[in-house]
Amino acid sequence: MSQGPSQTLTNVSSAVDPLRACVHCGLCLEACPTYRLTGDENNSPRGRLLLWRAIDEGRLQADTYTDFYTDECVGCLACESVCPADVPYGHNLEIQRQRQVEAERAHLDWRVRAAGVAVKSPAIFNLALAPARLLRSLSLLPHPMVFKGRPALLKSTAEYAADLVAKFNPTGPKVAFLTGCLMEALFREINFATVRVLVENGVRVVVPRGQGCCGAFHEHTGMSGAAELSVTNQQVFRAADVERVVTNSAGCGFALQKALAGDPPVQDVLGFLGTLDVKRQQEREGLYKVYVDLPCHLVHGQKVDGIPDSVLDATGYRWELAPYARDCCGSGGVYNLQKPKNARHILKSKAAFLEKVPKDIVPIVATSNHVCMMQWNTAKTFIRRRFEVRHIVQLLDPASSFDST
Amino acid sequence: MILRRSAENLPRSVKVIRRTAPSCKVLHHPSQLAAYDCDALSFKHFTPEAVVIPENVDQLVAVVKGLAGAGIPFQPRGAGTSLSGGPVAAQGGVILHLSRFRTIEQIDKENRLAVVQPGVVLSDLEKAVKPLGLYYPPDPSTGPVCTLGGNVASNSGGVHCFRYGVTGNYVLGVETLLLDGSLVRFGGPAGGRGDWRDDWKRLFIGSEGTLGIFTRFWLRLIPRPEKVWTLRATYRDLRSASLAIQKLATHPSFPAAIEFMDPRCVELVENSSMRVGLPKGSFMILTEIDGPAVLVDRRLKSIADLLQQCGSEDVAFADVESERLALWKARKALGGLLGKITPNFLVQDAVIPKAVLGEMLEFLYQEADAAGVGVATIMHAGDGNLHPNFLFDARRPGELEKVEKIGSKIMLKVSELGGTLSGEHGIGNDKSPYIEDHFGPLASAMQMAIPNVFNPQHQLNPLKVFPQRKFVA
Repeated sequence: MSQGPSQTLTNVSSAVDPLRACVHCGLCLEACPTYRLTGDENNSPRGRLLLWRAIDEGRLQADTYTDFYTDECVGCLACESVCPADVPYGHNLEIQRQRQVEAERAHLDWRVRAAGVAVKSPAIFNLALAPARLLRSLSLLPHPMVFKGRPALLKSTAEYAADLVAKFNPTGPKVAFLTGCLMEALFREINFATVRVLVENGVRVVVPRGQGCCGAFHEHTGMSGAAELSVTNQQVFRAADVERVVTNSAGCGFALQKALAGDPPVQDVLGFLGTLDVKRQQEREGLYKVYVDLPCHLVHGQKVDGIPDSVLDATGYRWELAPYARDCCGSGGVYNLQKPKNARHILKSKAAFLEKVPKDIVPIVATSNHVCMMQWNTAKTFIRRRFEVRHIVQLLDPASSFDST
Repeated sequence: MILRRSAENLPRSVKVIRRTAPSCKVLHHPSQLAAYDCDALSFKHFTPEAVVIPENVDQLVAVVKGLAGAGIPFQPRGAGTSLSGGPVAAQGGVILHLSRFRTIEQIDKENRLAVVQPGVVLSDLEKAVKPLGLYYPPDPSTGPVCTLGGNVASNSGGVHCFRYGVTGNYVLGVETLLLDGSLVRFGGPAGGRGDWRDDWKRLFIGSEGTLGIFTRFWLRLIPRPEKVWTLRATYRDLRSASLAIQKLATHPSFPAAIEFMDPRCVELVENSSMRVGLPKGSFMILTEIDGPAVLVDRRLKSIADLLQQCGSEDVAFADVESERLALWKARKALGGLLGKITPNFLVQDAVIPKAVLGEMLEFLYQEADAAGVGVATIMHAGDGNLHPNFLFDARRPGELEKVEKIGSKIMLKVSELGGTLSGEHGIGNDKSPYIEDHFGPLASAMQMAIPNVFNPQHQLNPLKVFPQRKFVA
């Protein structure tokens, strides 16, 4: 009997193109927040791939319905994590969204369009948001997405990092830090906390001048500009002479990973700290308990297992993974602006556990992506109890304790 | 949803649904129907006229009454992961997508039963019963997404049904919506001992949506096995592997699972990034024993010895979860690998007597090689449930026809060897052309008597299982 492998097994197309890699098995369905929300198979990864394929092959015309389903996708990429055939769903989604924009079929909120242009010029973006920074630091920016914090008004993260490194002279690994757009312009205190934690752990952190937006914003929305930003960031970070770039926002980190393609490698700051003997904070007493939520673009985008236990233990807090920690919170970059109803429904089912946490505990929802933090902060409009939203790096930073915010 | 077509262009079915169930979600634009034109047998397309996604039983009843009265064919659908062309609109009409029926209504620990809606995802049930020390054994490989409605409709199996049996063994009762809009219950919480009359619920298990639309199940749960040992062995030749299968199947420890992978599957895995170091050209057997720790620990040696005595030189075993999963890796990776190397694949699931495995494999290889079509075979070996996967590209002219021709030859061969057409995927409209030949005219006519009672005009899921089940309005 012919037991051996026959060449016919390799006779089929070995390089299946990205849009046709899906064999329609359906294993993505339950990973998809919009399928679970609506029960509509068009609103699932395999449904959308089928629609895009039909358009590509001319069997369907792009219309308001196909646009609707493309717009409905959160872009969480949870489907990629469960796909047995490794379909590059995110890549397909980006292409479809670019096509929508090119064909002027994209339904982008004006705020999103404006932000897409503004983030291309970090200096102007930072200046334009200075009043917002000021108001936020005075707790006078009452928007449900704006979590508490006291960002520096004028001092940049670059200047702060240079000062700290000069003062403490760390001798460990040398890394570059991506400061990001909204992180630097509005949530700068998290950047400062990141720098403090890195320096405290002996890391020589530099903030290269001239770095641009990571491009995630443009990838999410299909707006043009990601390619140019990639070129800028390649030049800036390759010239920085560092062993890696660290990021403190999972979505930005994922986009920068794609832009730099391993030269130099890009790593989330928490994963990076996990490779060091990270300094342990003192044990916190019983009032707070941390519920760790894993950003989609960390676990499904960057495809890392999670946040190292050693880093979470080092916060000194009691912690556990939030229920459904690997599921999307509904933030999806700008999804919560574009599709606020869906985003709210998705968050509601995820945040329901907070109501069940014993009353004598203050839950802290901690994650490592500012857009997830913004989304979680909106849960304060429907969860009727106290809870806090923090970046995990802030929990490693005594200066970010609750008394100082 | 804000998107609507002007009323005069609407298909008749949509007008009917809008009238009888105005609050029910209906999809009818061509772009909304695309995702519903196939199941996981993705190269065969049947576009429905509309899709409804009811929120509750009241809406479902209203829709069914409306469609039944208007003479429009319709069919239920769950996750659409089936591989037999079951939940598709083979004769047009309306698809009833029960994706919103996902409530686990009750888990009764004392009476070891669960009450569930048909759209509950299998692994959600598993997650709910596991912390209670309970177990729902049927485990088709689409467990993370497939729904219990689909499982009952196709009487799904899985890896562990050699010992534990298929879905039908765990159905205590079904509540089903009949064509006239009435809800009927067969069996129920106390249905485990058989009814005082004929066991009607059995007729609905495996009925593939041809008799009624499930709205609720009472499912039997059993105590969760305390401990599991997984064993893996490879063999140089089929004779030794077959001997191991026979001995495992009759061993007093009664393994929960006996799985088989042919050398072509082994080759695929070993040539991929998922390689685990299996010898190329080998046949792989995986088996599991489970039960009270003290018992299975004692039985481990005898199973390991058995595998070795049949000619394996690399028997490996583990009881720690992570290590057990490592032993399963090659088997679990296979489905994805097939997806990666081929745009389409057709998997069949005939059941053959175990003794003719060699003859059947030889036949498969000859037919596939002669046609230039790739084939890789796995088997739930304890039950003789063969799964040859044919790899092809439906866009290349003639390839689908070649695969279908091989498929039909295999069906004939299976019948000739005393097998059955499907062990767990169902007949759908993919294997329906073979059913008359398989059963013969008398047995086929008798089987048709059942849909003739519940669904005499075949308005519900027409053209499935029996090709003559065509709806004439």
